[in-house]
Amino acid sequence: MEYFEPKTVSEALSVLAKHGAEAKVIAGGTDVMVDIKFKEEPGGLVNIKKIPGLSGITENGAGLRIGALTTIREIETSALVREKLPVLWEAAHQFASLQVRDTATIGGNICRASPSGETLAPLLVLEAAGKCAFSDGEKTLPFTSFFQGPGKSSAGANGLLTEIDIPYPAAGSKGVYLKHAVRGAMDIAMVGVAVMLTPDAGKNNVQDVRIGLGAVAPTPIRAPKTEALLRGKPLTAALIKEAGALAATESSPISDQRSSAENRRWIVEALTRRGLQQTWKAATGKEIG
Amino acid sequence: MSVTINTKINGQPVSASAEASTSLLEFLRDTLEMKGSKLCCNTGECGACTVIYNGKPINSCVTMAADANGAEITTIEGLADGDKLHPVQQAFIDTGAVQCGYCTPGYIMSVKALLDRTTKPTAEDIEEAVSGNICRCTGYAKIVDAIHLAAQKLQLR
Repeated sequence: MEYFEPKTVSEALSVLAKHGAEAKVIAGGTDVMVDIKFKEEPGGLVNIKKIPGLSGITENGAGLRIGALTTIREIETSALVREKLPVLWEAAHQFASLQVRDTATIGGNICRASPSGETLAPLLVLEAAGKCAFSDGEKTLPFTSFFQGPGKSSAGANGLLTEIDIPYPAAGSKGVYLKHAVRGAMDIAMVGVAVMLTPDAGKNNVQDVRIGLGAVAPTPIRAPKTEALLRGKPLTAALIKEAGALAATESSPISDQRSSAENRRWIVEALTRRGLQQTWKAATGKEIG
Repeated sequence: MSVTINTKINGQPVSASAEASTSLLEFLRDTLEMKGSKLCCNTGECGACTVIYNGKPINSCVTMAADANGAEITTIEGLADGDKLHPVQQAFIDTGAVQCGYCTPGYIMSVKALLDRTTKPTAEDIEEAVSGNICRCTGYAKIVDAIHLAAQKLQLR
């Protein structure tokens, strides 16, 4: 197996241009090392951790810029993230275990493109985008169209995700990330639901809402029909019920060792309802009538 | 392809080479013959391989050995001072928090890292600190007792 430790993004891109087909990018290693031991050893490893400037959390205008090599623990312990992007903090806090959070990177969680990737549903409802370096230049790729299938993303085999840009949610918005798993720690989500809700100025109607679903389709997805159903309406118990049922139809889960597809659809329905109730109450101070 | 690894383990400089696909755990156990860190799930789920890497508890089974380059690593072998056990080790014995013992080195490293951060951990801190360690024998209650006892001993230091 070949091994590369590029010191710059451009050096990494030339290694990937030559070896991208058989070599794998490795950052924290918490997924790639498991593949090496239990699946197939790749033809090479491109360890990008020696590239300076790819980690850290900084305020960037009306949002946060998070370097791709920033660990999940750094995100979890960032006061800025907790204050400004609590929906992302909730995902980081529920991510695997302390040992994994100390090592795993947000860039790795994104590029792994697992349907159940913990940070992905939150990033979808935050309408975050990734900056990816390619040999022909840098591209900003919104995550809403980034994921192509399990393990497949628009970064491809030759691109390198360098940073994540996350705009702050609109004033008055509230977000929540709800994870359903058997164990409290060290468990992959059966279903993950992120909700970001913005009430109108009078706090009477849903002005905007974004719903992200994890582990219930080949990629993490938004639930656009459910969002359209809710926009512009007062959030009543009947509407929440309808929204939960619609969100379940927008998912296309599989049955596996963690859950049957039918059960996953039930959980999507329940967590969507719960997410709407919680964000509405947090944003308006009102219980659902 | 072989990678040269220059690292510091338990305060001692170490230089050795390993294949690029080698995990830090394999490097410790097989290359350096340090068998204290345990191989169990090999997927980063059980915590038996926990070591402290630049002050942070990590799973050595899913960390590249190459990432030890330039790092400071503490393993279970580095805790005792001669015949005198570290307070965390002694607390596990005193409370009966060890049964089969296989998970114990990993637990002790997680708890050491916790008590390096704070000697007054809350119940939540304790739960978080050992959430990545699995014990199939004790039922966890005695491990929590051991953590409280170790914290008390370290506060008196």
